[in-house]
Amino acid sequence: MTDFSLVLANLFSHKLRTALMMVAILIAFLIFGFLAGIQNGLDNVGGKAAESRLVTVNKINFTQPMPVAYVNRIRAVAGVDNVSFANWFGGYYQDPRQVIVTFAVDAETYLQIYRDDIAMAPDQRAAFLSTRIGMVAGRKIAERHGWKVGDRIPLSSNIYTNKNTGTQTWDFTLVGIMDPASEEANPDFILFHKEYFNESVTFGRDTAGWIVIETADPAQNGAVADQIDAMFANSPAETSTDTEKAFGQAFLAQLGNITLIITWVVGAAFFTILMIVGNTMAMAVRERTKEIGVMKTLGFPDGRIFRLVLGESLLLSLLGGLPGLGLAALGLSAIREGIGMPGLALAPFWAGVAVLIMLALGFLTGIIPAWNALRLNIVTALGRQ
Amino acid sequence: MRLLNQIIAVSTINLKSLPQRFLPSLSTIVAVALVVGVLLAFMAMAAGFQRTLQGTGSPDIAILMRDGSQQEVNSVITLDQVRLVGEAPGIVRKPDGSPLISAELYVIVDGVKRSTGTKANLPLRGIGADGPALRPGMTLVAGRMFAPGSNEIIVGQALSKEFAGFDLGQQVRFGTTVWTIVGTFAMEGSVFESEIWGDVRVVQSLFQRGSSFQTIRVRMQDQGALDQIKAFSEGDPRLKLAVTSEQDFFAGQSSGTVKLIQYAGWPLAIAMALGALAGALNTMYSSVAARSREIATLRCIGFGGTSAFIGTLLESLVLAVIGGLIGALAVWLLFDGASTSTLGQGFTQIVFSIALTPALVAQAMVLALGVGLIGGIFPAWRAARLPIAAAYAQG
Amino acid sequence: MSDLITITDAAKRFVKGRETISIFDKLNLTIEAGDFIAIMGPSGSGKTTLLNLLGGIDRPTDGAISFDGARVDKLTESQLSAWRAANIGFIFQFYNLMPMLNAARNVELPLLLTGLSAKERARRVQAALKIVGLDQRASHLPREMSGGQQQRVAIARAIVADPKMLLCDEPTGDLDRKTADEILGMLQLLNREMGKTIIMVTHDAEAARYANRVLHLDKGRFVEQGAMA
Repeated sequence: MTDFSLVLANLFSHKLRTALMMVAILIAFLIFGFLAGIQNGLDNVGGKAAESRLVTVNKINFTQPMPVAYVNRIRAVAGVDNVSFANWFGGYYQDPRQVIVTFAVDAETYLQIYRDDIAMAPDQRAAFLSTRIGMVAGRKIAERHGWKVGDRIPLSSNIYTNKNTGTQTWDFTLVGIMDPASEEANPDFILFHKEYFNESVTFGRDTAGWIVIETADPAQNGAVADQIDAMFANSPAETSTDTEKAFGQAFLAQLGNITLIITWVVGAAFFTILMIVGNTMAMAVRERTKEIGVMKTLGFPDGRIFRLVLGESLLLSLLGGLPGLGLAALGLSAIREGIGMPGLALAPFWAGVAVLIMLALGFLTGIIPAWNALRLNIVTALGRQ
Repeated sequence: MRLLNQIIAVSTINLKSLPQRFLPSLSTIVAVALVVGVLLAFMAMAAGFQRTLQGTGSPDIAILMRDGSQQEVNSVITLDQVRLVGEAPGIVRKPDGSPLISAELYVIVDGVKRSTGTKANLPLRGIGADGPALRPGMTLVAGRMFAPGSNEIIVGQALSKEFAGFDLGQQVRFGTTVWTIVGTFAMEGSVFESEIWGDVRVVQSLFQRGSSFQTIRVRMQDQGALDQIKAFSEGDPRLKLAVTSEQDFFAGQSSGTVKLIQYAGWPLAIAMALGALAGALNTMYSSVAARSREIATLRCIGFGGTSAFIGTLLESLVLAVIGGLIGALAVWLLFDGASTSTLGQGFTQIVFSIALTPALVAQAMVLALGVGLIGGIFPAWRAARLPIAAAYAQG
Repeated sequence: MSDLITITDAAKRFVKGRETISIFDKLNLTIEAGDFIAIMGPSGSGKTTLLNLLGGIDRPTDGAISFDGARVDKLTESQLSAWRAANIGFIFQFYNLMPMLNAARNVELPLLLTGLSAKERARRVQAALKIVGLDQRASHLPREMSGGQQQRVAIARAIVADPKMLLCDEPTGDLDRKTADEILGMLQLLNREMGKTIIMVTHDAEAARYANRVLHLDKGRFVEQGAMA
């Protein structure tokens, strides 16, 4: 027998009570793990590459278009390596309530800039670049609708009208399937050629919804962005340029202060667990007053008794917390695909924070009982007076 | 009657001894209060959002948009179409015989949310001369109406409170154009209070929209008019517009966001309730253990197991109800009526007030009672089956 | 035989509320190594307090206590802990076994305070359990054993670290006559065969007969035989 087995024996002397405590702690860390995963997902919107890309939008709002001529003017700015642009198509397939993210893009430059995000078979890529009415779709979208490469797909827009037919529907040929090229990427969208868009829409021709820029040196992003915005200042369409990541996060912030809500919920959950576990530990140690008195009588030093009690609460915290964290990680990976948020995972940083919180929880709930055990007087503990 | 007396006696003993187990009992109360608080905070947010959208729009106003566009911001309508719609049957006409109609433009501009300092999408709506007449309940609370043909705007009071820079008399820049805020309006807490209104012709020209619009609003003569207008639109290949009553249009906008909040709130609350349940069970088991001698003594005297069972269960329920009420009260004091905003389906911010309704409190209390019931029933069972010999056992 | 314990002019007073209660004043006692002493006396006579002082779980208000020539009452708390672990074995009326540990682990507890290897500890536990005749019950929990068996586990725990002195507080107070005689016989054996100095507090005159010497304590003073100390 070791001190560890003594701690275990103490901990499981009340199996039901310990099991209930473990459940409470498990749930707290399950909640923590889940919400930390969501926070991680929000923090990593667009993936790592997004930090090295800039997005230029109309300063009034990103839904307002810019003249397409801006693209070439930006290409001439020093420090800009690649430029591409896209228009929001407002696409849907048969059911107008189910919007499919669809972009009309300058295909060659777009695929070049997103080379680390979009993976496509070389022959499909070549077919896309050479097919005027070709489109490529993310694998999940194609599977959802049962599309195969070579299929003729009628896609509608909830904004534009096709001047060739007078309807809102365009005919496309599916020429390629996109897969994520990295773990952070999620090409859950449809791309088609801006030329096809431009020649067939009744309005919105020769505009760029947003412009994507790859800079030569991410350290110069700020300077490049300032230079671009200065170039279009006082024109009818002023611009606002930021990193793709900052842009994505500013958009998410519009949903509400999610971080604040997460902090409150996690705080409430932990306060609950702290109260419950702290109380129970105090109760457990109080019930063992006599046994602790006996151990002291046998000659166990105060420090060792202190460590035994503190060890018990730390162990309880870890035994409940680690499985909770594990369950959260499993749950996150299960829903990651469904939600399509690649960053939705328990990052090592958050797992580390969780373990620190477990230790803190174990320490906080155990410190007072352990101190009381340390100070326990044998004569009173054993009722020998 | 005898059983009732026994139950009263046991419950009194239990409840009077609560202060002796102050901390464990308090932990149960706090745990239940936090569970109820988290649940209600989410539900009250969903309810507030829903209330704002369902309180928006009139049943006798029809909205016409391009078919398939779903949202005002997507739709495109030409001046010709506006003229055609003006001839539709069933719409209210002014004394001069011209239709009561407002063709509107809905563009999104950037604002800054006061509470977080982050960018937010705000709707700038260009309205026609009949626009205000098609908005029953709208009142100017400060300033005046914008002058037609000018760079003047009026703002909803909710928007003005929630976003920076929209106070009366201030000037705002959208791109290179500068606008002056000349009035603030209220409209019964509806979505319209989250909007900026200007003259549609000025918005068209300053946003380079030519003569295009996005939506048309008309007042209908009666309930049957909606179908008349639909048939009229269907029958003319130049129109083919989607026609809905304004009330139905806004009511349909709430479901996505409300479901999202509810789908986040319930699992969280249930997970936390399980944690609180573990705490409640512990508290009650220890309560039974602490009173085992008293319970056994009562059993010796001749009290039945039922009274021990009910007395224990009651204690747990009382703790849960106290916790639930505290949680509900805290949400009511802290959040009820507080205004916040989120991105609506129209791609712009909708300001709404958090609304704690009695129905929500009832739901949350059911959850609290569930925790109290399950947390009490097993310990109560143990209390009822406690060996009577425990009365003599040496402690 | 040499003196193992010397108590010189020991006093013990408690402050209870506004009153000061004196358990004893100027108590003197000498115990030789290898002795088996029974201490008898009515409730409140100070028996338990005396045993507390002898075992180093309480300190005298005045006076001196020496063990093997060294002052016990001058030791710090942590020194006292180490001293108890090395020199004293305790046997209580209600056994005071750890309910969550089985017999072997209960017996092993004092050995955790030594530097012995796990293997050596297991050997000693087995040997101690054999002495009390419970080597077949090593894996039983206290609640699975009778009172007599539990007390034998407690005795094994008391002797496993090979202390010089055993302190027994009403060791048979909770047992029937037959079991009590077995336990007392075992204590006598430990005294005679292993040379353990035993001090036993008891109410039971029958039990006291197993001792070499009986001291009567009354109101903090030794009477009759006690007078000679």
